[in-house]
Amino acid sequence: MAQLTATPLSALVDEPVHIQVTGLTPFQVVCLQASLKDEKGNLFESQAFYKANEVGEVDLERDASVGGDYVGVHPMGLLWSLKPEKLLTRLAKRDVMNTPFQVQVKVCEPYFPIKNVVPHAPKDSLTLERWYVAPGVTRIQVKEGRLRGALFLPPGEGRFPGLIDLFGSTGGLIEFRASLLASHGFAALALAYWGYDDLPPLLEKVDLEYFEEAVEFLLRHPKVLGPGVGVISVCKGAEVGLSMAVNLKNITATVLINGPNFAIGNLHVYRGQTSLPTPTNIEFTSSNALGFAEFYRTYEQTGDVDSRYCFPIEKAEGHFLFVVGEDDKALNSKAHALQATSQLTRNGKKNWTVLSYPGAGHLIEPPYSPLCCASRIPFVSPNIHWGGEVIPHAAAQEHSWKEIQSFLKKHLILDVTSQL
Amino acid sequence: PMFQLIVTPSTALADEPVTIRVTGLPPSQIVTLKATLKDEKENLFQSRAFYKASEAGEVDLEWASALGGDYIGVHPMGLFWSLKPKTAFRRLIKKDVMNSPFYITLDLYDSVSLNDSATIQPKASQMVQRWFSGPGVQRKQIREGRVRGVLFLPPGDGPFPGIIDLFGRIGGVVEFRASLLASRGFVVLALAYFAYEDLPNKLLEVDLEYFEDAANFLLAHPKVQRPGIGVISVSKGAEIGLAMACYLKQVVATVCINGSSVVLDLPLRYKDLVVTPIRLGLERTQVHVSGAARFRYLTDDLWNKLNPQSMLPVEKAQGWILFIVGENDECLDSRGYAERAMQQLQSHGRSRGRMLAYPGAGHLIEPPYSPFCLASWNPGVERPFLWGGDPADHAAAQDHSWGEIQKFFRQHLIPTRSKL
Repeated sequence: MAQLTATPLSALVDEPVHIQVTGLTPFQVVCLQASLKDEKGNLFESQAFYKANEVGEVDLERDASVGGDYVGVHPMGLLWSLKPEKLLTRLAKRDVMNTPFQVQVKVCEPYFPIKNVVPHAPKDSLTLERWYVAPGVTRIQVKEGRLRGALFLPPGEGRFPGLIDLFGSTGGLIEFRASLLASHGFAALALAYWGYDDLPPLLEKVDLEYFEEAVEFLLRHPKVLGPGVGVISVCKGAEVGLSMAVNLKNITATVLINGPNFAIGNLHVYRGQTSLPTPTNIEFTSSNALGFAEFYRTYEQTGDVDSRYCFPIEKAEGHFLFVVGEDDKALNSKAHALQATSQLTRNGKKNWTVLSYPGAGHLIEPPYSPLCCASRIPFVSPNIHWGGEVIPHAAAQEHSWKEIQSFLKKHLILDVTSQL
Repeated sequence: PMFQLIVTPSTALADEPVTIRVTGLPPSQIVTLKATLKDEKENLFQSRAFYKASEAGEVDLEWASALGGDYIGVHPMGLFWSLKPKTAFRRLIKKDVMNSPFYITLDLYDSVSLNDSATIQPKASQMVQRWFSGPGVQRKQIREGRVRGVLFLPPGDGPFPGIIDLFGRIGGVVEFRASLLASRGFVVLALAYFAYEDLPNKLLEVDLEYFEDAANFLLAHPKVQRPGIGVISVSKGAEIGLAMACYLKQVVATVCINGSSVVLDLPLRYKDLVVTPIRLGLERTQVHVSGAARFRYLTDDLWNKLNPQSMLPVEKAQGWILFIVGENDECLDSRGYAERAMQQLQSHGRSRGRMLAYPGAGHLIEPPYSPFCLASWNPGVERPFLWGGDPADHAAAQDHSWGEIQKFFRQHLIPTRSKL
């Protein structure tokens, strides 16, 4: 009797699961499948084929998949190789507090996508719960002054290192990363800045005073440690994050994931000073073989090469962690990180680290998030190719998540003695 | 505005190049050239490229470099081979090759046009006709004995070199390559072998005597050059074509495009001989990030575990063999198979084999300017097949190989006397 086990069945979405099958015949070839329906009913599926050992067991921590959505030894492969039934659908949890994602895992006879062949019933199945919050994390809707967002606090007494979480070109309020960081001991403010509540429906300018209010809000909060805060930011969010680090006080540690080191598309304003958006050559937009738009070349004659447009990163006081997907097709992330860090080095500054991942794309998210290689964003018409190859992208997500947390903890939780 | 879009010739065979020029533009103006085609099922295919006019206000695709869009660089026929389906995974195949052409509309916009707009009209438009048969080519339905297919005859008395044209597991009859070759002076039998008329619906084995019947039929035709015929074959058809070359003395020149040199999946039968196939392990199917199935690794450790009897005995071939290989073929390891066959020829002191390997080309190497197809649906399978290839390299391979294929057939099928 085939038996499928997974430990733990219920866990945080960034925690690994150990999946095993027992009770097969020696060297039997089986198919392991995972499926998930998101909150809008979109189906995501993955499969991998394994050959049992001489005692009829499969252990995903030990055994290599021979085919399917990934090959090789990848204990979490069924999760990060999930693919949408409808191309271009991105997996993103909306309600992070009340419900997990439920992932059905099945072990079955191998079957192949031949039409009119009805698959056999699975030999065994189970459901995993993948949560975006740890027990005891609280969510506070933030509507103070101009600020709009959600503050996630870890359970327990005391103060926690504070950070601002910024997403990019989708607008709205994206909470899943902040809620996970709160589950790991951070007071994380998921901050919206356009396309949410009474914020502008379209981002017209980056008003740094809005983000300064957010820094001050966090530092005032009784559960936030201080004396500075961190920023974790991706894409457009990272453009804002870098601008914040350069202009604002009390930003101790900034994580910039696949962002530009110059203003794109919008003015940045702060107390009367403006940075103009960098001119772009839209005619350098390419298309991949499936017709998805790639924008990463559009600054190759301007921002990529002309330092006049670059943010004066040497003025920032905190530390930087650049996370780069080398296969990013939306932005030339590697070039931007190199340009920014060269500027720091030229100014005698060593307050930076670059983590550069071959094969990773634009959307570097917490571990085990499925790769979304292309999707649509508001106000942009062709579908956008984000880039990334499934296996290296998954590895980048796993590695960078640990590094990001250590980086933030290292700089935000100061040793009392280091202040002497 | 005095823009002029000049496209010549406006009517041509589909394998003939077209010159595209724009004049009367403001100097250095950025323009978009867009191509649109609707196939016989109303599926829309489109391509576009962005160019910068010269100081003299001209764009001539013979020397102008596309800055972005569906291709980059100098590609005079780029708008044709980079045509992409609006609905992913559809492949462009002309069904009626005699009575109608493909109509391609070329539009000029005086700005960067990333998408279609209902409101923005092109500044100039031209339509071209792309025909799959030349004047005087005749098409005859063939039902002789067991043989089923379509025969194409060039105009005139002949005799002409005769060729059997074989496609792969798409089944039925695919006519467009045969009709184009007939337009170039060959008698071509587009031969069906399953899923056509009263032939078996499914391919369960390869009965070489059927193909011998077809070869004999062709050789007996009053317009066909004796003493031998050629075969042009792709994919599964190329494995059959190679088997014909090995066993049938009627076949004196064989072109194998991206086929295997071992008997795969289905038994090969010829008179008393039955060759056991190498098993395809469907559990080794991989899934590409687009969801398409990648079959390249279905054979496990093939060359080490190979039963030599499953290898096609190329040393028995009396005629000439040309292997056309796309090195980025994701459907099978075309280069590996062709190299093995070449080694086998050499080790038996046979010198009538030649391999043309094209870096960056994928599985579906077709006549020039056929739109690059990364992946497409195949009958009876619920996932698209990944064909592989890089668009520009693939286009170059199609261009080069077509000339080589015709030279090869003329060289080996036309007796030297008649070339004087």
